[in-house]
Amino acid sequence: MSATSGHDPKNGAQDEMHPAARMLFGWVSAKSSPAILFWGAIVVVIGLIAADLALHRHDKLSLAKTFGFYAFWGFGAFALAVLTGWPLGRLLRRDEDYYEEGDATPVENRQAGGREDAE
Amino acid sequence: MSGFLATLNPGFLLIVAGLIAGLTPIRPVRQAISLLAPLLGIVMLWGVEQGVDLSTAQVLGLDLVFYRVDGLSFVFGLAFLIAAFLNAIYALHTDDKLQDGMAMAYAGAAVAAAFAGDLMTLFIFWELTAVSSVFLILRAGTRAAYVASMRYLAVQILSGVLLLDGIAYVYRETGSIAMEAFTSLDQAGALFIFIAVGIKAAFPFLHNWLQDSYPKATVVGAVVLSAFTTKLAVLTCARLFPGFEQLVWIGAVMTVFPVFFAVIENDLRKVLAYSLNNQVGFMICAIGVGTPLALNGAAAHAFAHIIYKALLFMSMGAVLYRVGTVKASELGGLYKSMPWTTLFCIIGAVSISAFPLFSGFVAKSLTMSAVVKEGYWVAWLMLLFASAGVLEHSGIKIPYFTFFAHDSGKRVKEAPTNMLVAMGLAAVLCIAVGLPMIGGVGYGVLYRMLPYPEVAQAYEPYTLEHILTQMQLLMAAVLAFILLKKYALYPPEKPGTILDTDWLYRKPAFALVLWLGAVWNRLDDVLSRLAGGLGARLFARLEAAFSPRGALARSALVNGMALWSAVLLCVVCVVVLLNQ
Repeated sequence: MSATSGHDPKNGAQDEMHPAARMLFGWVSAKSSPAILFWGAIVVVIGLIAADLALHRHDKLSLAKTFGFYAFWGFGAFALAVLTGWPLGRLLRRDEDYYEEGDATPVENRQAGGREDAE
Repeated sequence: MSGFLATLNPGFLLIVAGLIAGLTPIRPVRQAISLLAPLLGIVMLWGVEQGVDLSTAQVLGLDLVFYRVDGLSFVFGLAFLIAAFLNAIYALHTDDKLQDGMAMAYAGAAVAAAFAGDLMTLFIFWELTAVSSVFLILRAGTRAAYVASMRYLAVQILSGVLLLDGIAYVYRETGSIAMEAFTSLDQAGALFIFIAVGIKAAFPFLHNWLQDSYPKATVVGAVVLSAFTTKLAVLTCARLFPGFEQLVWIGAVMTVFPVFFAVIENDLRKVLAYSLNNQVGFMICAIGVGTPLALNGAAAHAFAHIIYKALLFMSMGAVLYRVGTVKASELGGLYKSMPWTTLFCIIGAVSISAFPLFSGFVAKSLTMSAVVKEGYWVAWLMLLFASAGVLEHSGIKIPYFTFFAHDSGKRVKEAPTNMLVAMGLAAVLCIAVGLPMIGGVGYGVLYRMLPYPEVAQAYEPYTLEHILTQMQLLMAAVLAFILLKKYALYPPEKPGTILDTDWLYRKPAFALVLWLGAVWNRLDDVLSRLAGGLGARLFARLEAAFSPRGALARSALVNGMALWSAVLLCVVCVVVLLNQ
């Protein structure tokens, strides 16, 4: 197999940024972004739940008819799935080579700083 | 399209193209074949007459139908061909004859099986998908990939054997191998075929082959694998077992359990494998409901899923290719160096999460509505839970921990151009079939292709109620994520192996087999000695009695025997004479 490998990791080069990255995701590194995302999400969710007051839903299940059902179900389901991860991780996580089969990373993708692309 | 090409199953074309590509050493020629064959396949399929046996044969008294297209198989076949084309673009940076050839042959086998009009033709290509796809895992070149591919092959072949077994029962009972839906699992052969389909569709407890093998495949291999096998099983399930209530519950369980594994899994390609399981669960549940609306849902979901799942696997493949790992614990901040890959991954993520304006929304709405309409409330609540779960692992975990989260400091090149083109096209498709109908583009294009187009076109996904409830569910889940991260309640990504039910056969059952082997070896020694000793003693005794040197051969006894025989003869003669 003679597939090319494309590694070129340069660790520590914090300031290097793809030109398109500034255009598409430059806002991510802005200091105010986490707060905007946090409060923005709260406002959006409150707004969406409040919309239940204005819209008559046609749900047949009595549980689903309750005010803000979908939002509470979504929030609860997500939180349950994630929080279960704590005990489940402790119960099910073993060493990386637990099955003694070695590193599963494909051979061609292992070598750092591999051959140049054939682009 | 007319003449020979009109009656040729496009799958056959891809299989032949794959074999030729696999033997072609000139890279540009091979790549041209890989790109053109699926495009020609799409053209061949587009104008085809549906509901007619287009290519038939009689072999050993069996009526084989090589090519028959109906509303259901059309959607799956078209999605397979589109995936084959995208995969060929995605693989352009590689120079691997075997991988190119087998990827095309595998896609061809899936297309051929999708359009098979009888059970025996289905079986042949069902097996060919297994045999051709195993190379995509093997080519990773690791010991882990080798042993996983052997397990994969064993499981896939078992599925094929069960299918053949079921077909034999069906044939004995009905005298026909026509592809007709079963009405009960009590029918001859139905249970065998149900389990065969269950293995390939990765039903709960039959699912481990998927998480075991796909993440160990090559970069290109995992993308190719994600499209075909499970969706071929979904199509077969929809053809043979529509409306089987068991499937509603099997599907609902399938959507829920992978969510918990995906949360704690560190290998992001394995997270996608669990996600695949969860998505197929929605389709299986819809098939269980079995109404025209639900079957439309299964078909639409399969079409949308093939594209966005391929897109997600492509983005993780690009990361693996550039960074050398897809372990969440080692990634982060890659948006700085791979912004286009990030963007395409996010489009795949919002599509699979079923945000309005993306393909997952218009596809999943059909299934959810069908489940509600038939009153499967518990299943519906499970699917709703799983919808938030999809958002967790595929919508947030995959893009967030790879491209954002804490900056790992890794600076790499953006993905190769061919990868970006493949991802870009997949992303465009995710949006094109998800939008409201504007100027001939939008979800209506997909709905028109569904098996019950009138039912589909009477359905409106973009109602205010649909949009609002879906956004409430998703945005509240997003808020849950933000809060859990903010208050450090989100479990950190840690390296490790997460045990699943395959632990049972990879550890205790394997240890039991090794122990039985060791016991047998020891018993073998003891039994050999025992049998050898007994044999030797018996032989010695027999020899002592009967051999030329034995007791019976000694002259005294021989003479004595002759004398006594003569005496006995005399006695008998005297008795006979006296009686007369």
